Amino acid sequence: MDFLHNYIYYFGAFGLIFIGLYIILAKSNLIKVIIGLSIMETGVNLLLIAIGYIKGGTAPIFSRPEIKAVNMVDPVPQALVLTAIVIGVAVLALALSLAIRLYGHYGTLNLRMIREQKW
Amino acid sequence: MVNPVFLIIAPLSLAFAIPLFGIISKKIIKFIPPIAFGFNLIVSLALIPHVLRNPIIVSIGGWSPPFCINLVAGPVGILFSAIIALGGLLVSVYAMDYMEKVAIEKYHILYILLLTGATGVVLTGDIFNLFVFFEILCISSYALVACSGNKQGIESAVKYLIQGSVGSSLMLIAIALLYGLFGTLNMADIARNINSVSSMELFVPLVLFITGLGVEAAIFPLNAWLPDAHSSAPAPVSAVLSGIAIEVGIYAVARIVFTVFGASSIFLFLALLGILTLIVGEMSAFAQNNIKRMLAYSSIGQIGLILFALGIGTFYGVSGGLFQIVSHSLAKTLLFLAAGYMIYRAGSMEISDFEGMGKKMPLTSLSFTIGVFSLIGLPPFAGFSSKFLIIYAGLAKQEIVFIVLIALVLFSTVIEGAYFFKLIQVLYFKGKSERVVVKDAPLSALLPMFALVAIITLIGIYPNAVINILNAGALELLNRVDYIRSVLG
Repeated sequence: MDFLHNYIYYFGAFGLIFIGLYIILAKSNLIKVIIGLSIMETGVNLLLIAIGYIKGGTAPIFSRPEIKAVNMVDPVPQALVLTAIVIGVAVLALALSLAIRLYGHYGTLNLRMIREQKW
Repeated sequence: MVNPVFLIIAPLSLAFAIPLFGIISKKIIKFIPPIAFGFNLIVSLALIPHVLRNPIIVSIGGWSPPFCINLVAGPVGILFSAIIALGGLLVSVYAMDYMEKVAIEKYHILYILLLTGATGVVLTGDIFNLFVFFEILCISSYALVACSGNKQGIESAVKYLIQGSVGSSLMLIAIALLYGLFGTLNMADIARNINSVSSMELFVPLVLFITGLGVEAAIFPLNAWLPDAHSSAPAPVSAVLSGIAIEVGIYAVARIVFTVFGASSIFLFLALLGILTLIVGEMSAFAQNNIKRMLAYSSIGQIGLILFALGIGTFYGVSGGLFQIVSHSLAKTLLFLAAGYMIYRAGSMEISDFEGMGKKMPLTSLSFTIGVFSLIGLPPFAGFSSKFLIIYAGLAKQEIVFIVLIALVLFSTVIEGAYFFKLIQVLYFKGKSERVVVKDAPLSALLPMFALVAIITLIGIYPNAVINILNAGALELLNRVDYIRSVLG
């Protein structure tokens, strides 16, 4: 039980990453693939947060003496996740707008049907 | 001495100022990218003598390196930023007349952002900023591939986006794992502490890094997006994607493997992967009838050759790999630019429609031919010196496996020669020989092509012009202790 308690966030994070990867590889609808990308990104963000998580941690503010330095949380992973979320939003928006254009050209979002170009 | 941080700030601010300039006049927008990259080229060239003595470390925010975001402008970084600025300048001059039909404002913003991201990747000193700049590069290149708005463009942009974002996610997992192991994101700090962790724990982040960056660098099993994206984008976009973006991917792989991990045990694996990429790329190029797809597959092959050279792992090997990056970047940019107007005049991408092009567009065809000769490695062009250096380095290794691999490199050069000479034959010796109306590319396109021809020939005749910075770059990549010391003091 203790093991699960300590590592539950890592299981969750890698679970989401693999679910996302499975959707990207197995599904043929472009919207579903984009949802898969989004789930995978969420998993990666959760992984970053889980690495920086300390139970009962406090903010690293030095100017207030009542905050103890013992349980200080490193703010770097949170800054990374904020950046990663912004990048993820940009990719998602671009992907959805491309999906609209793709539907306009082909009349379908099924990626198995769209095979104009191949090796 | 100019602070290297301006190499990123200047184009970035100009990119976002473009809508403001657009309010004043739509006509001045197309002059912004040449100004931005002209500035970058001058700054990079001016910094070369400085970085040959000492790498320039810029700490942002006034903290000392392990705790701050820092830029490391070493010989490799400045060499790459000079290539990026040179390519960016020439291609943006070409695009002045070529890109008339698409949404000009958005195209120029994305174009500057792509190359700013590339400059950021080669100058940054920590892995998270590497990721951020890489995403700037990738997102703008997805959008640029789609910017023509036609069927093929959108389809290849979708493919590129899906594969590229999976690659980026894998890279972010690797960054998270490294942060969990070391508690730092600074490349030099990680490199200093890398031996304190068992190699089993480092294996997963290294694999994730190579896979994630390999998508952008188009290493063999991960390059399915490249032929589509490079062939359906407009000519200036293909030129920067093929001439700059994939080289930046290779740079990132080299930086991670050489400097951060110091993983000399996987050099042979990289060399084998490179040979595989080379042979697959050249064989596929041989089978193509579409000129832009042929050039795109040839880019895959060249990336394989560069990876092989880096995988040799000796001083001459790495130096030859960097030289091959320079000569491929120049030659492939030239080929895509020349092919752009040839396709425009012929109205088709099929090679059979290019018959007699050598008489219809003599200057463009001449530039194209010189680009081809340099890519194959004929003297006296830049490609000869770089291929010669790589083969010399492989033979100097005196191991049986490398001699076999060099034989494969030479074999694939023969294939390369076969399909390129077939193309040259179509240009000059096929078709009717009567006089036709000569209408060559406009001056704004011929000027950058001739500049590239001049640089390729100059480097080919006098390779010592660039060998100093290439050797310094090879030393920087191979000698991680000096890198760590120069960053952390």
